[in-house]
Amino acid sequence: MKKFTCLLIVFLSGFFGAYAQSFSVSGLVSDENNMPLLGVNVIVKGESRGTTTDFDGNYTVENISLGDVLQYSYVGFETREITINDQQIINVTLQTDSESLEEVVVIGYGTQQRKDITGSVSVVSDEAIRGLQPIQTTQALQGTTSGVVVTQTSGAPGASLNINIRGIASNTENGPLVIIDGYQTDVQSLSNLNPSDVESMTILKDAQAAIYGVAGANGVILVTTKTGELNMAPTVSYDTYYGVQETSRQVPLLNATEYALLLNESYANGGQDLIFPDVSELGDGTDFQDAVFQTSPIISHNLGLSGGTEKVTYSVGGSHLRQEGIIAPEKTQYKRSTAKVSLGVEISDAFDIDFNTIYTNIDRNSINENGLGSVLFNALNIAPTFDIDQEDQTGFLGNEIINPLSQIENTYNEYNLDKFNGTFGLNFSPIDELVFTSRIGYNFGKSDEKIFSPIADFGPGKVFNVTRSTVNQNRINDNNYTFDLFGKYENTFNDAHHITLTGGMTVIRNWGDGLYATGYDVPNNSWEFADISLTTGTSTEKSNDSYVYDIRKLSFFGRVQYDFQGKYLVSGMLRRDSSTRFSPENRTDYFPSVTAGWIISEESFLEDSDLLSFLKLRGSYGILGNDEVGQNQFYRALLDGEATYVLDGQLINGRALGGLPNPSAKWEEAEKMNLGVDLRMLNNKIDITTDIFREERRDLLIPFIPVSGIFGTGAPGGSSPTVNAGTTVNQGVEFSIKYSENIGNDFNFNVGYNVTYIDNEVTEVNGAEFIAGGAFGVGQPQPSRFEEGHSIGYFYGYKTDGLFQTQAEADAAPSQMALGAEAQAGDIKYVDINNDGVINTDDRTDIGDPIADVTMGLNFSMNYKNFDFSAYAYASLGNDMVRNYERNQPNVNRPAYYLERWRGPGTSNEVPRLTTGATSNNVLSEFYVEDASYARIQNVQLGYSLPDDLLERIKIDRLRIYASVNNLYTFTKYKGFDPSATTGEPIGGGIDYGFYPVPRIFSFGVNLTL
Amino acid sequence: MKLNKQNFKIVIILLSMTSLMGCSDEYLEETEEYTIDSENYFNSEQDYIDALIGAYDPLQSTYVNVLLGEIASDNTVSGGESATDVIGFQQVDEMNHTPVNDNIDDVWDWNFAGVQRANYILEFRDKTDFEGKDRIIAETRFLRAYFNFELVKWFGPIPLSGDQRFQLGDETSVPRSPVSEVYAQIESDLQFAIDNMDYTAPQIGRATKGSAQALLGKVYLYQDNFQQAADVLEDVIESGQYHLYGTQADEDYTNLFEQVGENSAESVFEIQYTGEEGAGFECLQCSEGNVAVGFQGIRNYTGPVFEPGFSFNLPVEEVYNLFEENDIRRDYSVLDIEAWAAETGATYVEGYKHTGYYNRKYLPRQNNNVGDANLTQPNNYRAIRYADVLLMAAEALNRGGINDQLAQNYLNMVRGRAGLEPVNATGASLTDAIYEDRRLELVGEGHRFFDLVRTGRAANAIEGFTPNKNELFPIPLEEIEFSQGNWEQNPGY
Repeated sequence: MKKFTCLLIVFLSGFFGAYAQSFSVSGLVSDENNMPLLGVNVIVKGESRGTTTDFDGNYTVENISLGDVLQYSYVGFETREITINDQQIINVTLQTDSESLEEVVVIGYGTQQRKDITGSVSVVSDEAIRGLQPIQTTQALQGTTSGVVVTQTSGAPGASLNINIRGIASNTENGPLVIIDGYQTDVQSLSNLNPSDVESMTILKDAQAAIYGVAGANGVILVTTKTGELNMAPTVSYDTYYGVQETSRQVPLLNATEYALLLNESYANGGQDLIFPDVSELGDGTDFQDAVFQTSPIISHNLGLSGGTEKVTYSVGGSHLRQEGIIAPEKTQYKRSTAKVSLGVEISDAFDIDFNTIYTNIDRNSINENGLGSVLFNALNIAPTFDIDQEDQTGFLGNEIINPLSQIENTYNEYNLDKFNGTFGLNFSPIDELVFTSRIGYNFGKSDEKIFSPIADFGPGKVFNVTRSTVNQNRINDNNYTFDLFGKYENTFNDAHHITLTGGMTVIRNWGDGLYATGYDVPNNSWEFADISLTTGTSTEKSNDSYVYDIRKLSFFGRVQYDFQGKYLVSGMLRRDSSTRFSPENRTDYFPSVTAGWIISEESFLEDSDLLSFLKLRGSYGILGNDEVGQNQFYRALLDGEATYVLDGQLINGRALGGLPNPSAKWEEAEKMNLGVDLRMLNNKIDITTDIFREERRDLLIPFIPVSGIFGTGAPGGSSPTVNAGTTVNQGVEFSIKYSENIGNDFNFNVGYNVTYIDNEVTEVNGAEFIAGGAFGVGQPQPSRFEEGHSIGYFYGYKTDGLFQTQAEADAAPSQMALGAEAQAGDIKYVDINNDGVINTDDRTDIGDPIADVTMGLNFSMNYKNFDFSAYAYASLGNDMVRNYERNQPNVNRPAYYLERWRGPGTSNEVPRLTTGATSNNVLSEFYVEDASYARIQNVQLGYSLPDDLLERIKIDRLRIYASVNNLYTFTKYKGFDPSATTGEPIGGGIDYGFYPVPRIFSFGVNLTL
Repeated sequence: MKLNKQNFKIVIILLSMTSLMGCSDEYLEETEEYTIDSENYFNSEQDYIDALIGAYDPLQSTYVNVLLGEIASDNTVSGGESATDVIGFQQVDEMNHTPVNDNIDDVWDWNFAGVQRANYILEFRDKTDFEGKDRIIAETRFLRAYFNFELVKWFGPIPLSGDQRFQLGDETSVPRSPVSEVYAQIESDLQFAIDNMDYTAPQIGRATKGSAQALLGKVYLYQDNFQQAADVLEDVIESGQYHLYGTQADEDYTNLFEQVGENSAESVFEIQYTGEEGAGFECLQCSEGNVAVGFQGIRNYTGPVFEPGFSFNLPVEEVYNLFEENDIRRDYSVLDIEAWAAETGATYVEGYKHTGYYNRKYLPRQNNNVGDANLTQPNNYRAIRYADVLLMAAEALNRGGINDQLAQNYLNMVRGRAGLEPVNATGASLTDAIYEDRRLELVGEGHRFFDLVRTGRAANAIEGFTPNKNELFPIPLEEIEFSQGNWEQNPGY
C-alpha cells in the first residue's frame, strides 16, 4: 500500500510553464546509514515551490532551470543546498544535525527550539508512552521525567491518579494545570485521554509556567495530540493488546490454626476463657484473600487513519479499552471508548485553521475501596475459621467486619461519562514575522451514576446492614471553554538580535450543574429494577439535591523573548489574572517572571570542543498562583449555621450564619526559582540536565483560624474563617542523564536515569498551631498534621523504644496509663519526649511523613535487528506509611508478623504481646508507621518487527508483535499490599486501609501499519 | 501588495480584542448561582422568622451562664469528679480564675454569638416589608438585650456594633463601650420590645411583652434605678398574666420544676430545651438539651426519679439549713442525697467536694432522651419567674423608699406560697428579709452571684472574693490578644 508514492506534489510554477529549458530533477534522500528519509522538504530556494520525499525517500521536482538551488531540510538533520548544473538525478545524504537541538517544544502560547529554552521543561514523547503502555495517559509520567510524581489512589480499574510536580506545596490542591491542545483542564481529563492519541507531553516545572499566571503554581502539562502531516500518504494503523491481570501481592495472614492459637493466647493473657479449646481440626481455614483476588483480562484496541495533502492534514481514529478488576471482575470494570477527528487546512498563505475533537465514553463500576469497611479491609480482618459464605451471625467480629464476598455480592453501581472536547483554531499571518492566533478549546461532559443498596443483612448489629433498599442516581454536567486570542511577532535584526513578542488574552469559563436523587424501596430488591422510576417509597428526609457553578477567569498576558547571537537568552513574562473564585476586591493580580540563559558552547573557546557538544546555563524566577484552592469561595457567608430551637414543644429549624467569611481571602502565591544546566557530550551521546529549585508557596488558605468571639463563631454550626495564613517551602535537585549509542547498523540502545530530591517543609501557620487530617483506627485523634517546622501531612504520634521485656522494667518506666493502661511486660515502651516522667498526649511527636525524599526513574531501550526491548523502573525512597488495615477488635484475624510477637523476655522487641485486656499498644506510634520506600519495575516489553521484505510481499508497512509485563516486581520492605498507596491528600495521605494493589499485567500485543 | 487588506484585518482583530477587554468586568460579574448567602437573604417574612429562630438558638447555650454563675456564688461548690475535672469551673469556685478559662470564654463566645445573630437580622431590618415585622424586630431586640445583659453582667464594658454585625477587624478598632452605654442600648431594645409585643406569644417559647418588661425591670434594678424598676415590674404584676405556680387549682408547687411545670403561668421567660436532639462534648452549644442539667446530675446514680450525671454545682449545707423546717421549697430545691438514698434505696458515688446536696430544681429526671443522655436533658430553664418579678418589685419598692407596704405584700406572696408566715418588717430589715427570701426562692437558678455583686454584699459572702476585681469576670486572654491592645483587661486580672 505504501508502495504508491505521495502523489500530492504540487508544481506551483508548473502553471507558469513559460520558462525555457526547464527539466525535472529526481533522486533519493537518505541518512548517514543509507536509510531512506521520508518527508524531507525539497524546495527550490527563493521560490515557494518544491516537494517532499515519499516513503522510500524518493522525490521529483519539475521545472528546474540551470542555476536553481535545491534545498533539502528535515527536522533533526542539517539542511543541505545543491546548485543545479545539469544533473537530473541527485541522490542526497543528510547528516544528523550535530546539535540535534532543533526539536521544537511547546511552551505555552507558542513553541520554542529546545536549545533556546531557559526554563525547566521536560518532554515525554509518544515513544515513552508506547514503551510504558499506560492504561491511563497520566501513568506515562511516572518515572519518565524528573520532578514529576504520579500516585494512584487505587489499583482498581479506572481509579483516579494524582500528579505532583516538584513536591507538594499546597494544603489543598496540588494537581497541575493540564492543557490539551490549548484548552485548560485538569489531571482527570488527562487520565481520560486515550494514550495512543498523545503525540507528546511537555511539563513546565518552574517560572516558565508563569505565562499561565494564577493557574500555573502547581506546574503545567501541555499535551499535544496526534495530527496528520502535510503531504503524507494515508496511513492506517491498528494497535491491540490483550492482557491478564493478577494481584501483585497478598498480605501474609494467620491461617485458621495459627489464628485460633493466638486468639487463645490473647484471651488467656486477658484473663478470659479460651475461645478455641480445641484447635486440632481447624487446619488452614479459609483464605479470604485468595477468594477475593482473581485473575482478570484487559483488552485494548486502537485504530487510526492519518495523512495529509499539500494544504490539508487529517487524522481520525477510535479506541476501545476494557479492563476488569482483580477483585470482583464481574462488578468492577473500566471501559473507555474514544473517537478523534483532527483536521488542519491552509486556506491561504496568510490563513490556516485547525480543528480537532475527541469523544470519550467511560463506563466504570467499582467496589468499596480504601477505607474502613472496604472489601480488602474485610478480607484482612475476617476470621479464617469462617466458612467462605459464612456471615458473622454472633457479632463475633464487632460491628464493622463483614464477609467480603457477601459485600461484593451486595455491591451494585455504574458510572458513565460522555464527553466531547476539542479545539478550533485560526492562525492569521499577515506578514512572515507576525502570527495572530484565535482559538477556542471546549469540553462538554455529562456523567451519570447509579448506586443501588439492596436490603442486606451481614449479621446482627453490622453497620453495613441495609434494612431499606435505596437507589441513588445522579447527573452531572461539567463544561468549560478556553478562548485564547494572541499575537506573536518574531524577527531577527542585524543577524544578532532575535526577538519574539507574544501578547494576548485568555477567557475561561467553567460551569456546570449536578442533580442527585434517591429512590426508596426498590422492587424485588434487585439491580434489574433499581431505578427511581420504579421505586414507590418515600422518606421524611430530603432525598434530592442539586448544585450549579459558574467560575470565570479573564487574563491578559505578554512575553518578550530576546537572544543575542543565539548565545545570550532572556525572556520576561507578565500576566494579569482575574478569577471569580475570590471576592471582587481580591480577584485580580499580576504575575511577573523572568528567565535567562547562556549557551556557553556557542562561545569561541568551546566551539570546537570534542568533548562538549552543548552547554547551557539557565535560570528562572517568577510569581505564580493557584486559585483552585478557592472552590469554596471563602469570601462568602453561607447560612449554614445551626438554627434549631424548641417552639410549641417541637424542634424547629431556621437559618443562621455559619462559617465566618473572609472577604480578603485570596489565592495562593508561589515564588519559584530555578537554576539549571543542560549538557551534551561526546557528539550528543550523553545528554545531562540538572536543576536546583526552590519554591516558596505563600498565602496558603488555612481553615479554622481562631478569631475573636464577637463574630459569633462560637454559635452552633459556626466556624472560624479560612485565612491566607500558611507558607511552605519545597526545595530540591533534579538530575537526569541519557546515554544513546549505535553499535554497527544492527544495534542501538538508550539508557536514561533521572533522580529528584525534594525537601518539603511547612514554614508558617499563622494564628493556628496546625491543621489535622486523615484517620487512624476508630475514635482516635487525627494522625496527620500540617504544622510549622515539619513536612506537610506528617504523622503525629508516639516514638517507641522497643518493648518492655520484664514487668520490673515496665514498672520503672514513666506511667503509660494515659494511653489506655499501665504497661506490662511485652507492651510497647514509649519515649517520654518531654521528660516529665509520664507518657501522655504531650509526648507525641513527628514519627514520619508520606512524602518521598527521593524519586528515581530508570529507563532502558534497545533495538537489535528486528527486535526491540524496553524496561522502565521507578523508585520512591523515604516515604512512610501508616498501617491502618488492622481492625483493633479482639477477634479479627491478624497479619502473619504476629507469629513473632512477644511471648516472654527476649522473644521480641518489636511486636507486642497479645491480650484482650486493656493496653496502650493501639495508639498511633512508630509501631504502625512503616518505611514504604520501594523500587518497582513498571514495564518490560520485548517486541519483534517482521522483516521488510516479508512485509512488502504482503503489502504491509509495519507489523510488530510484542509481549509486555506491567508492574513486574516491587522491591520493598512494606508489609501491606502496595507501598505506592496513597489517597494523594496533602494532609491525610499515606494511610493504608488495605489499599487495592496495582495489578500485575501480562500482555501480548500487535502493532500494524498499512 | 495586499498590505492594506492585511492591515485592515489586523485592525479588526485588535478591535475585537479591545472590545473583549472592555467588557471584562461585566464578564466576571455575570455569574448566577442558586445559593443563599448572608447578603442575598431576607426576601420574605419566612426568611425573617427563620433567622429569628437562629437568634433564639444560642439561648440554649446560656446554660453555662447559669451553671457557672451559681458555682461562683456562695450557694454551691464546683464538684465534679476531681480537682481537675472541668478546671474552669473549679477555678471560679475557688475565685482564683484567670483570663485563661475555657468556660468563661464560652460565656463570652456564645453570648456574643447571640448578639451577632440578632444584629444580622437588624442589619437587614429594612430589606423586605410585611405585616407583623415589628414583632419580629421586637423579639430580635429582646434577644439582643438578653445576650448583652448577660455580657455586661459578666464582663462589664463590652464592644457594641450598633444594628449591624461585627466585621473582621472590629476587634482591633471598636472599643469596649462603658457600662452605661451598654445599658442604654439594652433599655432601648427592651422598650421597643415592650411597645411592639403582646402578652401572649405566637408560639410557646417566644418572648412576650411581659418578658421584656420583667427583663427591663431587672436591668433597672441592676443599676439601682428603683423607681423605673418598680414601675415596669408593677406593669408585669398588674397585667394579670402571671401568678405563682401552685396557687391555683390543678397546680402543685412541687411540680414547678418538673416537666408539667414548664411554660406555666409563673414563667415570664423560659428557655426551651428538648431531649430529641443531642450533641457531643466537642460542641456542647449544639445540643438541643440543657447541658447544665446533666452536669449537675448525681454521680453514678441508680435509683428512682433521677438519671445520673457529673455532680457539678453542689449546694452547700448552709443554704439547705437556711430554709425553715416548714419551708416547702427546701426539699424541692435542694436534694439531701443521703436522706433520699436512705428513703428510696438509691445508690450513688461521692465526687469531688461532695456536700451531700444536689440542685434538685435542675437534676436530670428519668426520660427517653436521645444521644448522650448527659448532654441532652430536656429540662427548660425558667429564666425569669413571676416569683423573681415579685421579689425584684419588692426590692425596688423597698430600697427606693417608694412603698414598703407594697413591698411586703409582694414578698409575702412568695413566702405564702412556700408555706411561711408573712413578714411585716420595714426599712432595712425588710431589705434583709427580701434578700434572704430571694436567695432561697432562687437558689440553684444562677442569680445569686450577680445579686450579691450588685448589692455590694459579695465580698462578705463569697470566700476568696477580691473586691474591685471579682465583681467582673476577666476578658478571655485570647480576646485581649485578638484586640491587639484595643481592649484592656478588667481590673485586677
